[in-house]
Amino acid sequence: MKRKRVKIVAASALLLTAMAFLVIAGIQSTSVRHFTPAGLVAAAQSLNNQRVQVDGLILAGSSEWDAANFELTFAVRDRAGSESVNVLYANRLKPDNFVDGGSVFVEGRYDASQNLIVATKLMTKCASKYEEADSTTTESVTERGKK
Amino acid sequence: MTAEIGQAAIALSVLSALWAIGFLCAGLRLRSAKAVQSGRNAVVATFFLTCISTGALIYGFVTDDFSLRYVVEVSSAAQPLLYKIAALWGAMSGSLLLWLWLLTLAGAIVVWQHRNYTTDNLADYALVPIVVVQLFFIILVTGIPDGIYNPLAKLPGGQVAADGQGMNPLLQTPLMAFHPPTLYIGWIGMTVPFGFAMGALASGRIGSDWLFRSRRWMLFSWIILTIGITLGGNWAYRELGWGGYWAWDPVENASFMPWLLGTAYLHSVMIQEKRSMLKLWNLLLITLAFQFTLLGTFITRSGVISSVHSFAQSNVGWYFLGFIFATTAAAIGMMVYRRKRLKSANHLESLLSRESAFVLNNWLLVGLTLIILWGTLWPILSEAINGEKASVPEAFFNRVVIIPGLLLLFLTGAGPIISWKKLTPNNFRRMFVSPISIGVIAGALTWGFLAWRGNPMPIYSVLCSFAAVFVLAAISSEFYRGAKLRAKRQEASFFAGLTHLVMRNKRRYGGYIIHIGIVILYIGIMGSKGYFLLESEGLKLGDSMQVGTFNLTMKDWFQERHANYARAGVVFDIEKNGRPVGEMKPARHYYEKTGQGETDTIESAIQHFGANDLYIALGDLPPNIDNGGIVNVQVYHNPLINVVWVGVAVMVLGGIVAIAEKHQHESLSKREE
Repeated sequence: MKRKRVKIVAASALLLTAMAFLVIAGIQSTSVRHFTPAGLVAAAQSLNNQRVQVDGLILAGSSEWDAANFELTFAVRDRAGSESVNVLYANRLKPDNFVDGGSVFVEGRYDASQNLIVATKLMTKCASKYEEADSTTTESVTERGKK
Repeated sequence: MTAEIGQAAIALSVLSALWAIGFLCAGLRLRSAKAVQSGRNAVVATFFLTCISTGALIYGFVTDDFSLRYVVEVSSAAQPLLYKIAALWGAMSGSLLLWLWLLTLAGAIVVWQHRNYTTDNLADYALVPIVVVQLFFIILVTGIPDGIYNPLAKLPGGQVAADGQGMNPLLQTPLMAFHPPTLYIGWIGMTVPFGFAMGALASGRIGSDWLFRSRRWMLFSWIILTIGITLGGNWAYRELGWGGYWAWDPVENASFMPWLLGTAYLHSVMIQEKRSMLKLWNLLLITLAFQFTLLGTFITRSGVISSVHSFAQSNVGWYFLGFIFATTAAAIGMMVYRRKRLKSANHLESLLSRESAFVLNNWLLVGLTLIILWGTLWPILSEAINGEKASVPEAFFNRVVIIPGLLLLFLTGAGPIISWKKLTPNNFRRMFVSPISIGVIAGALTWGFLAWRGNPMPIYSVLCSFAAVFVLAAISSEFYRGAKLRAKRQEASFFAGLTHLVMRNKRRYGGYIIHIGIVILYIGIMGSKGYFLLESEGLKLGDSMQVGTFNLTMKDWFQERHANYARAGVVFDIEKNGRPVGEMKPARHYYEKTGQGETDTIESAIQHFGANDLYIALGDLPPNIDNGGIVNVQVYHNPLINVVWVGVAVMVLGGIVAIAEKHQHESLSKREE
C-alpha cells in the first residue's frame, strides 16, 4: 500500500511539474510586454526588434489607407503626452471604428530606428455604451496571418 | 406604469428572497415543516416576482417605451421584433435581470422537483445557497450598488427619447440573439449542483445522494454550454470576418473554463458513485465550477484586462469578485467543518486502472482550466510578478493546450476500455492491442499524406490522427461487443441489439457517443486550425485571385436597401481546378441607428465544399468602384471546418441520450424513507 501511495504521489508531482513547465515555457516564449507610446519611445533602443503591445489614440490626420497595396499606416499617440509611434498594418482589412482620435490597441514587432511597429494585431475601441460588443470584432487573426 | 410595477417587483423580490432564506434556515434548524414549506413558497414567489420585472422590461421593449434608460440604450423603433426582445440581454443591466430570472426559475424547478419530498430535506438545504446567489443578483438588479443601474429605471428628469440608440449591429443575427442566454442557462445550471453540494455539507449527508440529485442538472448545463459556446464560435466565424471561430479571447475563455470544469465533474462523480472515492474532490470541483461561472463576469467587466477587450468597465466585476471570495470561503469552511465525513472509502490501487484514468482526466481538465486562467489573467499577473504589464497572444494558448489536449483525446478511448482497479495483461491484450494497432496505422498514413503534400512539422497531426482513430476503434468495439451480446441473448438482429444496449444504459453509451463527437471535433480543429490558407488582395472589377485550387474573379458589385440597414457587396465567380462552381457575394452592412457603435459590419460569404469552406471577407467599397477603384478582400480556405460543427452536434446528441436516463435517487430515497 505504502509503495503504491508513493508511486501515485510521484506521478501526480510529475504531471504538475510538466504542466507548470508548459505554462512557464509558453509564457516566456510568447509573452508580449505592454507599453504606452511614451513608455515605448523612452525605452526604444532596448526594445528594438521585440514584440510589443501599445495602447493609445489614433493621431489625428496620421492615417493613410493604401488599398492597392493593402496597407494601413498611422501613428498612435500617447493618451497623456505628445509622443507617438508609427504603425504599419498590412494585408488585413481596415478595422471598423477606425477614426481619428479613436482608442487603439496594437501588437507587433518594433523597429526602433524608424519608431515603427509592424503590427500583426490591431483592435479599435470606441467610446461605445454597447457593452456586449465582443472584442474580437476588429481583431484580426494574429497568428493566422501566414500568407 | 408597467415599469413601476416591474420596479416594485424587484424591490419585493429582495424581501421574498430574505424570507426564503430565513424560513428555510429556521425551519431546518427547528425541524418545522411549516416554516420550511413557507420558505419553499417564498422561492416560488421570488420566481413570480422576477417574471413580473422581466416581463415589464420586455413589454417596454416591445412597446418602444423610450422613457426607459435601458430601452433607449439598446433598442430602437426600427429594430425587428426578435432583436427588440433580444435587446433584453443587449447590455449589462438587462443581462443581470435575465440571469436573475433564470436563476429564480432554477430555484422554482428545484422546489417543484421535490414537491413530494416531505421527510427528505436535502433539497431544502440546497435551496438556501441557491437563494443566496439569487439575492446577490437581486441586489445588483435593484441598481442600488454604485456603477450599475436598474434595468427598469427611467431617463433622468422624466425625459422621453424620440428613438433608441439601437442594439449593436454585430449582435443583430439570430445566432447572437441566442448565444448569451444559452451561456447564462449553462452557468446557472451549475448553481444548482453547487447548491446541492453545500446542502449536503450543511445537512451532513455527504453520501452520493446529492450527486444523484444534481447530476442531471450538471449534464443539462454541460449540453447547453456546449451549444452556447459553439453558437458563439459560429457567430464569430460568420460575423466578424476573420475567418476563424476561436481566438482565446478572454470572453471566450470565460465561457470555456466552466465547461472544462463541468466536464471534469461529470467524470469524477462516477468514481464517487462506483468506488466511493474523491468525495472532497467532487465538492471542490463543483465549487470551482460554480465560481468560474461568476469569474467570467469579473474578467470581462472589471476592466483589469481592458487592454484586450472592449466591454464597458464598471464596479460590477468587483462585486462579483467579492461574492466569489465570500462564497468560496464559506464553501471551504463547510468542507473543513465536515472533514471527518469526507474520507474516501477506497484508494487508488494501481496507476493503470480506470480509476486512475478518471483521475488523470480530472487533473488534465483542471490543469487546462488553470493554464487558460493563467494566460487570461497574465496581464494582471505579470504586473504583480515582473512589475510590467504584458499579455500572451493566441499562440500561447495554442501551444500550451496541445499536449494536454492530445492526452485527453487518448483518454476518451482508453478510459472506457481499461479495467477497474488494475489493468491486467489480459485486459490489455483483449481491449487495447487492436485499437492501438489501427491507430498507429492511421498515424503513419497521416504522416505519409502530409509529407507527400509537403506540409511542415506534421507531428501533432500524426499524434492526433493516431489518438482519434484509436478512440474510434476502442469505442466502436465497445458498442459492437455489447450489441452482439444483446442480439445473441435476445435472438434479435444486431441493430435491435444495439438499440437495446443504448436504451438500457443511456448514460454510459450516451457518454460514449459524446466521446465520438469529441474525436470528430478534434479532427475538425486539426484541419481548420492547422491547415487553413489566407490570401489578402486589393482587386479591381474584373480582377482574379488564386487561393489553393480556387480561382476567384470579381465580376460585379451591388447595393440593396433593407429595413434598418443598407447592404453593399461584390459578386465573385468561383472556379475550382478550372471548373466553375458558382458565385459568392461577400458584403458589408451599414446600420443607420447605432449610437456610437459600429456603423458597418462585414457580412462574409461562406461556401461549403464538402467539409471545407471558402470564406470571403470584404473591405469597404470605394466610391469609384466602376472606374478602377480597389476593393480589399481576404479569402480563407478552411479545411475540415464543418467537421467541427458536426462533432459538436454529435456531442450534444450523446448528451441528450445520457440525460434521458432517469434519476436513480427516486428509488433510492424511497428506500430511505
